[in-house]
Formats: sequence, C-alpha cells, structure tokens
Amino acid sequence: MMDVGRHPNVELMSFSEVEAVTGFVGNFHVTVRKKARYVDPNECTSCGECSKVCPVAVPDEYQEGFSSRKAIYLPFPQAVPSAYILNMDNCLGNNPIACGKCQDVCEKKCIDYDDQDKLVNIEVGVIIAATGMDVYDPTEYDEYGYTRHQNVITSMEFERLICAGGPTEGHFVRPTDSALPKSIGFIQCVGSRSQDGRGNPYCSNICCMNTVKDTLLLCDHYPGVDIKVFYMDIRAFGKGFEDLYMRSKEEGVKYIRGIPGDVVEDSESKDLVLTVENTTTGKLEKHELQMLVLAQGVIPRRDNAKLRQLLTLSTTSDGFIMESHPKLKPVDAPTKGVFLAGCVESPKDIKDSVTQSGAAAARASILLNAGKTKIEAITSMVDPDKCNYCGLCSNVCPYNAILSSDKKTKKLPTIIQAACAGCGACAAECPQDAIYMRHFRDEQIMAQIEGILAERPHEQLITFACNWCSYAGGDMAGTSRLQFPTSSRLIRTMCSGRVDEKFIMQAFRLGAPMVLVSGCHFADCHYISAVTWTQKRLDKLWSKLDKLGIRADRLQLEWISAAEGQKFAKVMRQMEEKLATVTMDEIKQTMKILEEEEKKAKAKAEAKLKNTKSAEVAS
Amino acid sequence: MAERDVLFKCLGCGHEYPGKFDMNNIQERTCPKCRSNSVRRLPLPKKK
Repeated sequence: MMDVGRHPNVELMSFSEVEAVTGFVGNFHVTVRKKARYVDPNECTSCGECSKVCPVAVPDEYQEGFSSRKAIYLPFPQAVPSAYILNMDNCLGNNPIACGKCQDVCEKKCIDYDDQDKLVNIEVGVIIAATGMDVYDPTEYDEYGYTRHQNVITSMEFERLICAGGPTEGHFVRPTDSALPKSIGFIQCVGSRSQDGRGNPYCSNICCMNTVKDTLLLCDHYPGVDIKVFYMDIRAFGKGFEDLYMRSKEEGVKYIRGIPGDVVEDSESKDLVLTVENTTTGKLEKHELQMLVLAQGVIPRRDNAKLRQLLTLSTTSDGFIMESHPKLKPVDAPTKGVFLAGCVESPKDIKDSVTQSGAAAARASILLNAGKTKIEAITSMVDPDKCNYCGLCSNVCPYNAILSSDKKTKKLPTIIQAACAGCGACAAECPQDAIYMRHFRDEQIMAQIEGILAERPHEQLITFACNWCSYAGGDMAGTSRLQFPTSSRLIRTMCSGRVDEKFIMQAFRLGAPMVLVSGCHFADCHYISAVTWTQKRLDKLWSKLDKLGIRADRLQLEWISAAEGQKFAKVMRQMEEKLATVTMDEIKQTMKILEEEEKKAKAKAEAKLKNTKSAEVAS
Repeated sequence: MAERDVLFKCLGCGHEYPGKFDMNNIQERTCPKCRSNSVRRLPLPKKK
C-alpha cells in the first residue's frame, strides 16, 4: 500500500466513492466523491495529539469492537495516507463547535471543521474493479450461540485477538475472564456449503487454510493449548497447503469430522460444551472447550448492486460479479474496458487475488498501450426513417450503449458502436423495426424461416439457438454422437434476446407446428442480462397466443449451456413428442388465424397512414 | 415494482405452482416437476 501511495503514476483517492461512470472503453468519465476528512492529509503528521484530547470514545470497527477509538482517529496503523480522520457522526458537533479540543492542540493547524465533500471528474481508459468482499454474519446459526455466549467468536475477531497490533497486543485471551483459554475449538463452513437455506451454498475457499494457519499460530504462541477443529472436509488444494495441514496435525491439533449441532455454556465457568456427531466413528460426542471460533465464510460485498449499476455488470447466482468467460477471459468483465481483480469476482485467497490483479493490470495495460481496440462487427444500427423516438431501445440495452432519443427535439437514439456488444435485444424490442443488427437483419432471419418451412412445414421444428450456449450445446450433442430427432432446424442468433416476436409469429403463419427458443442460462448470459428480455418477451407471447386461440405450449423455451449436449438432445426428443401432438387441422387453423390477424394489422396501419396524411394536408 | 405472488405454469408438463415474481429482477424459471424452462407466468385474475 505504501508503494501504491508513493508511486508517481498512481493517484490514490482514499475515503472516496465512485458516484457515476459514463462512457465506454477508452473514454470512461468517472465522478468521484472525495468525502470530507476534516483533516488535511498532506499536513497531518499523525502525531496523535488530537486523538488524545478527544472526549468521545466509540467501538473501534477495525478491532472488531474489542477496543475503542476516538471521534478523530487513524483508521488503522498502516493506513495510507497516514493521516487522521474526523468522523462527524461521532464528533460532538461542528456547527456550532461543541468541543474544538482537537483543533486547539493541532500544531500543524490541519483540522478544518468546514471541510466539504468534493466531486472530482476524471477521465480514464479502463477500469479495474477490485472492491473485495464482506464476511458472513453467523448470527442466524443460533445453535452456535454467537449472540448468546461471549466466548464464541468469529475468525475475524480471532485475527484481532492474536494480532500484535490488536486490542490485546497479541495476547490471546478469552472475552469473559481475560485469561488464556486452555482449550479452543474451531467450527468450519459457518455460512458456507450450506444446503439448509441458511448461509450460502458455495465454498468460501479461504476458511480451511485460515483455520490451519490459526491453529499453527496458537501452537507456536501457546504450546499445550488443546485445539480441536470440527469440519466436514478440509480443502487444502493449493501449493504447500497440504504440508501446512499435516504440520498442524503433527503439532497435535485434533481434526474431528463432524459439524456440531449444539453449543451450551456453563453459567459459572462460561466454558462451552459442544455436541457433535463424529462421522468418522459414527458416535455422538461431547467436547468441553473454553473458547470457540466460528470460521465464517465470505459473501459478496453488500453494495455490489451499486457496482453492477455503475459498470453495467452482472452477477452469478451467488452474488459475485460475473466474468466475461470463466476459462478464457477470467479477469475481463462483460463490459469492454472493465476488468475484475480479487474477491469481487469470487472468494479467493491472497495468492489468487494477487495473480488475478496482475492479470487484470496486464490486460488493462495492453488496451492502454495499444491506444485503440477492436470493436464488435455485429452491432445495432438505427434507421432514422422508421424511428418514432420512443426510447425503448435505450431501456433494453444491457450495456447502456444507446443514448436515449428525445421525442420533443426529434433526437434519434445514438448507438455507441464501441460499447455495443451485439446482443440484438434492442432490435427485437423495437416496435417500429427501426433498429437493425448488422449480419442478423430481420430480412436475413425471416429468409431462413421461410426457407425451412418451404417444404413439409408440418414436420419442422423451428429452433432459435443463441450463438454462445445453445448452438454450442447442439454442437456438443453432435460431437458427443448423442441421438436426437432430425426434425429440428436451428436458426442461430447471437443472443436469444434477438428473437423478435414477429419471427415466431411468421413461423406459425407459415405452418410451423412448434417453435423452440433456446438461450444461455441466466448466470451464463454472454450479454449481461439480455436473456431476461427473452423471458419477458415469451411471457407476453404466450398470453398473445392464448388470446388468439393458439395453444401456448407450441412455443417452448429452454436454457441450454454449451456443455449441456445431453440436455440439448433430451429437449429435442421432448420437442419431437410434442410436435407429434400438433394436428394438421390445428396448424391450418393457426395459419388462418394469423393470416386474418395480418390483414387486420395491415388495414389498421393503412388507416393510420391515411389519417396522418389527411391531418398533414389539413394543417 | 415490488416482488409479488404469482402462479407459474409449466408448458412442458402442465404443472402449476405458486412463486414470486419481480419485474425488475427476472429470475430463471425451472419447473420443479419436469425441469423444463418453458414456465409461463400466468396472468393475474382481473379485479372486478
């Protein structure tokens, strides 16, 4: 951190928050709120005189509440910049000044009660998101008694207690009697790998080795302390991790395979009794301990939603920010020019975070040094003759790549070609067909539908498949030599979000018995959230089919990933079965209904045009 | 728009089940019975 603070090419903006990000790769405009510190960081020498005279004491967040801090304080000993900060929420008041003692004793006169937040605008070419993670709050695991028993602490609290810079200067004591505990237990996977609705289903990655490290620290500092670790699996998969785990065992740490179901406190001694089923022996055991540490898992930052919004990112089902591709682009965000580093992407240890940060910095510097970037060839374009300035396209775009139109000033929507990724959701949603996709124009897709249904339409299953997942899933089924019916005719679109309502209606109008729309699973969507528009559109379409008297289940939707070749084959078999239930009479009836609908729509459009023309003549 | 209780219908097997729906937070739907994704949100009955 010191290196970062002193680096001539790095401007460190601490105690600041990003308020807004606009623009696109190479041209991001970032608005940063530099919060009022009330202490000039350039002048402050961290002498600490101000803190000594401050009469306010509040729990110190950095020390997990084990000690107190003043209203004016150094956030933590290694803080960069090494300058004090005044928390106005804790201060007795600055308007009017209620105390003013800190200002009186400050020799450098660097305390300014009238300091204000400042908004700073900066221009950057690329952005690296490295906002980290939060830790899981174990209070919902009531059986461990975290809120009831003082001697039950979390692994974060343990870190402060064992740290030389902590509230006890590294003397590990238990909270109830400030004595060294003779026996300490660790419970693993608190809030991780949970299937009971509490906590999270994923592995937090770092807790096992953190506990192994903690046990070794205890063995080193306090030989003779009885240490027990209650676990379901020890995941020691990194370089040298297994050695560390073995060393911990050799030091006498007992690893018991079983997660305790109950923790009871002795009201006098404040000792704890754990009941656990040892799954190795199959016996129910009771363990008496003087202190218990909960190895809490990690969770995505609680303000991740704001980050998502600022940088138009998406999250995986566990809430961490999704990368562009899990194997080939693990540090790239789906938004061009944005990279991810550390636990913002997934739980990871220091080594992996450093590796990913290095990769993100390298990826960023490639873009910056090149000074130019390749943009997507398949992008949206606006037809100015058709646009009616409704602004729907800019609402739909998952990349915020469309600058909104304005009906009053007749300003057309502007598509930022560098930011457009080519999902086509805008083209599909546009009610005027005023947006077209290069290489995936309406006419091109319509021609494919007409071509497929030109002969024996009643035998064809029209399948729209997204380029990245479903189409690749079909490839996977083929290369895996899986058997599936030959009735399916695939029409590739870049995203299922590109599948326009009129493509589906046209297929039914031309005699298709069934239409299948397939795309990526929501968590895998190559275009952030474009896939959600597919779901919304199909909801509307199913209702429309119902109203027209067409069976809604003739339009099917499936999410098939590139690896799900088996699912692709299975879906195709199911579609074949459904296809067999559609009779020729039903198909003919549908064609008739839709022909009439088309005639009605044409007549309506002509009448509207006539009215507009006569209104123009009248005016 | 807040999350609301709706009825879902699977167009694969016809299974109907209740669930939550939020227009601003569309979630992937899977039929709990047949695992199909052709799950339709049934329109709410019109108020009289």
